[in-house]
Amino acid sequence: MSLWQASLIGIFAYLGRNQVPWFFGTTGGWYGIGRPLVAGGICGFILGDIYLGIFCGILIQALYIGQITPGSAMHSDVNLASFVGISIAISSHTHPEVAVMLAIPLGLLGVYLNQLTMSAQVCFSKKAMTYAETGDARKIRWINICGTSISFLERFSVVLLLCYFGSPVITKVLEIVPEVVVYFLVISGRVIPLIGFSMLLNQIINEGWMMVLFLFGWLMCFIFKLSMLHLILVAFFISIIYLLAYTKGCSETILVQQDTLQRNNIEEEGDYEE
Amino acid sequence: MRSDKELKLSKKDIWLASWRWIFFALSTQNYEYMMGTGFAHSLSGSLEKLYEHDQVGLSKALKRHVTFFNTEPQLGSIIPGIVLSLEEEYANNQDNQEPSAILQTKNVLMGPIASLGDSFLVGMVNPILLSIAIGLSANGSLLGLIVFLILWIVLVIFIRHFLFIKGYLLGLDAIKILKNEKIKNKIVQVVTVFGLIVIGGATVVTSEVITSTQFLFDKNGMTMQKIMEQPMFGFISIFILLTYYFFLSKKKWSFVRLVCASLLAVAIILLFQIL
Repeated sequence: MSLWQASLIGIFAYLGRNQVPWFFGTTGGWYGIGRPLVAGGICGFILGDIYLGIFCGILIQALYIGQITPGSAMHSDVNLASFVGISIAISSHTHPEVAVMLAIPLGLLGVYLNQLTMSAQVCFSKKAMTYAETGDARKIRWINICGTSISFLERFSVVLLLCYFGSPVITKVLEIVPEVVVYFLVISGRVIPLIGFSMLLNQIINEGWMMVLFLFGWLMCFIFKLSMLHLILVAFFISIIYLLAYTKGCSETILVQQDTLQRNNIEEEGDYEE
Repeated sequence: MRSDKELKLSKKDIWLASWRWIFFALSTQNYEYMMGTGFAHSLSGSLEKLYEHDQVGLSKALKRHVTFFNTEPQLGSIIPGIVLSLEEEYANNQDNQEPSAILQTKNVLMGPIASLGDSFLVGMVNPILLSIAIGLSANGSLLGLIVFLILWIVLVIFIRHFLFIKGYLLGLDAIKILKNEKIKNKIVQVVTVFGLIVIGGATVVTSEVITSTQFLFDKNGMTMQKIMEQPMFGFISIFILLTYYFFLSKKKWSFVRLVCASLLAVAIILLFQIL
């Protein structure tokens, strides 16, 4: 890929980074354009192959769909993994599964980079402390906005270098290695994305019977070939029915509770009378 | 000494503080103060107005808020709202109140709201919307991610702004919005039911994407590839997924361990094929 494409991807990777304010803060950044599916669309658009970009995006998104980042302590840096992994995979015209296999080590690298950046940003907060001492609100605002410059330096330069110098290397490596290795990468890249969904299920399911709902959705799409739009309608109606049943169940249990309470009170009173 | 007229923040001040929180809450996040500087940034404009002729008071108020603060910034926008109303109250009545109550409020609220925001907004709503987006983008179109971006940003920015304004208007009572167990459970349950069905569909779409990308290899004995490029791969994929789920929930395996184990399994099967 050319230099301007790599730097454009670098800028978008910066915009989708965790602490960057410019696109509705963390909502539009990290949880918006930083998601692998959106990153796939953006990289595909810049590199001129939206189709492959979206496919890479879907696979990497499936892998990381169950990742929460509480207190910015993350398992893997989704942003770096998806932007670099997808753009290298597109520019070397390889299989989308290879993007998944590139994303995993890149995600681990991103965790260390993120720790480095967040440690470096302490100096801005220290500076803000001294401004608070003098009561200068304007300068606190200014220094807080300046804090994002370190993330820009880190993310933009790393993505630019990895994309620009990494993609010819990866292309060359994929040509040299025996076909069995590529085959191994592709097969693994097809199996591993399913981990993401199982992590998501593990998070969401808190009662055993809910597994049935997941299997129902799977069955609807797999056997009865429902499209996603139709499935949304079905899911919507089922959740409405569930809501009605749940509300009724709640009020009934409250009635039962009140009933038992009253009964207990009467019994207790009876005891006292004796 | 002090003028008797009551200090009151205008609607514009509150909106400005809310939008500053939406944009700049995290921009100097670090391990020592987390979102402390962003918190001070959000409130700074209103504090300037409250302590317009009182440089010492302004400095004290700013020092209260540049300290450590950490929560989930999206659902947590209710906290700066509440703190702003407390600050206004304190600025009007400095002699009879203790500023330490404001700090305590901040510290008490940030934990529970962070866990609620992480588990509900980030852990459920975002993945569910992404599952829908995967389903809509399955044919390689941009439709899914555009729908995702619009739905997610409009929904969450509305929630963030609404909670901030409510936090300012209701003060400490605003916490009841998030503490209402009955409504909270109802919403979480219904979203869970809706989400699980949609996620079930998204797994099918993902395995369809896998089967549709056919790449030819010259090796004759590559039976694994032949299996994976048949529609029946859906059955195998759900079997693999349930196996992963078993290891995650029952054996408590970590993400990296699962990745390594599946790489090993694929390698072993490949070795058997070649030999």
